[in-house]
Amino acid sequence: MSAIVAAGLVKRYADGARRVEAVAGVDLEIAAGTLVVLEGPSGSGKTTLLGLLGAMIAPTAGSVAILGEDVTHLRDHHRAALRRAHVGFVFQDLSLIGAMRVLENVLLPLVPRGGARPDERARAIALLERFGLGGERDARASRLSGGQRQRAAIARALVTAPEILLLDEPTAHLDGANAGGLVDALCALRDEGTTIVAATHDARLARDARVDRALTMRDGALVP
Amino acid sequence: MRRQLALLDYAVGALGRRAGKSAALGAGLAFVVALFGAALLLTDAIRAEHERLVEEMPDLTVQRLVAGRPALIAESFADELRGLPAVRAVEPRVWGYYFFAALEANVTIVGTERADPALDAALAHGRLPREGAEVAIGEDLADHLGLRVGDAMGIPLDGDIVFSPVVGTFGGGSAIRSADLVVARPAHARRLLDVEEGWATDLAVDLTTEDEARVITRRITERLPGARVLERRLLRRTYELTFDARGGLLAFLLVPALAAFLLLAWERLSGLGDAERREIGILKAIGWATADVLAARVYESLVLSLTGAAVGIALAYAYVFWLGAPGLWGALLGWSNLRPALDLAPALDPLQALSLLGAVVVPFVAVGVVPAWRAATLDPDRAMRGAE
Repeated sequence: MSAIVAAGLVKRYADGARRVEAVAGVDLEIAAGTLVVLEGPSGSGKTTLLGLLGAMIAPTAGSVAILGEDVTHLRDHHRAALRRAHVGFVFQDLSLIGAMRVLENVLLPLVPRGGARPDERARAIALLERFGLGGERDARASRLSGGQRQRAAIARALVTAPEILLLDEPTAHLDGANAGGLVDALCALRDEGTTIVAATHDARLARDARVDRALTMRDGALVP
Repeated sequence: MRRQLALLDYAVGALGRRAGKSAALGAGLAFVVALFGAALLLTDAIRAEHERLVEEMPDLTVQRLVAGRPALIAESFADELRGLPAVRAVEPRVWGYYFFAALEANVTIVGTERADPALDAALAHGRLPREGAEVAIGEDLADHLGLRVGDAMGIPLDGDIVFSPVVGTFGGGSAIRSADLVVARPAHARRLLDVEEGWATDLAVDLTTEDEARVITRRITERLPGARVLERRLLRRTYELTFDARGGLLAFLLVPALAAFLLLAWERLSGLGDAERREIGILKAIGWATADVLAARVYESLVLSLTGAAVGIALAYAYVFWLGAPGLWGALLGWSNLRPALDLAPALDPLQALSLLGAVVVPFVAVGVVPAWRAATLDPDRAMRGAE
């Protein structure tokens, strides 16, 4: 079964009078329960494609289906509900709210559902412990190191138990040892059934033997 | 409900995270509401004070004028008026002002024969006078003279001192009544005010229906040329117009303060900081819908503006009823020096208070929500990257 199917995906931005085509006709099918790495240089359109695949950005043309549901023309609140239910994001710049505590950041996706139930709170704490942040849960996010913030962001992305996890430059803030540990964690999640797409310009990650599929992107298009 | 509570909880946390900005806006809002609230509370309290008194007045008050000045009126004229249709009762009244040298101020002496339910209800202690030189006096006057029920009030008269036993004191929520009133039996009031038997200060006329007031007034002036007839409903209207106009003028003068504050709030809130815009982008990206972001923002603005407004109204209350509204008092009542002082009984028209809240809270929430809506309707990544 396919977790994500994209067909003829195009995204254009207006940059003043100029129009920039960040994604230029991408056809892609990602199988459920696989770890896929999207490699390419800065500005190649990886982040935009990731946003399109996760229903975070509306495409200019083409279509995206997530878990069999066409999300291309969904209204804002439906897209938000779908993201909340099925997709976890880890952003390139980590995107934690620095003034909030680590656990509060992790629980943030649950607020529109009515806040964390006791079992969801327990899951959030378990995730922080799994990523080695059990002792930091009451610390302000702004006080964490880059690696810690990376792991906290992954814990937040997983708190809703999504089927799909999208990561943008997940190793950008990590040294070699921590990057290896992250790949271990991603593989473990993949083995538990989570579909993972990671966009990176880190060739080490793309060449890791445990990755199921590596794609290369140049100038908004996938390189065959 | 659970979802709304969770969003409210997030909004309160967000206010705390931007404590400096929240405190500055809340303080500005509290100040503006305090200004408007003070004008409103003062106007309402004065209006309520007069309304209470006007309601207790007779439908018509008949005075005799001589050379344009009020003069005593013959009690026998009351019998003539009792014969008019629609006249239910006519009571000659003896009252007047007495200069009290110890206070360097006038007090109001009222002679009363009958058991007046309004006066009775206004008693804070004791009872109304029943005989001789007994008096019941306003609490403020009693305080100024150091008197309590059971003491005797010494009143200088024709080089002598008349001692009047104080049998009651007035409080009862009316500042005017509790301030300078002295109620006595008619004979004692006549002695203090030098009003001879057979004469009265004025005549109090009660009608079967107030609608007949205009007709009866005309008939009275036909029978007693030079009479001045005060209609209760006209007095009520005059008070309303006077204090509505003064209160309205005061509020109008404060409009620039409100406008300046809203402009300031717009300036502060419309330019969402990068951090706030980014936060909205994060929330959208992790699954918050635009409606969730806006609901949180509305709660944030509501909590801030309602707290600011509540503090403002509390400040206005303290300023008017505890401090005596220095500065505003003169603008509404004039700058005459009255003793004993008129301490207002707290009064507030709920509809006007709600109007004040609405006038401040609604625009404040709007100026907070509009820029958030602009950021929240962007794709999450654009909001995070700071696109407008």
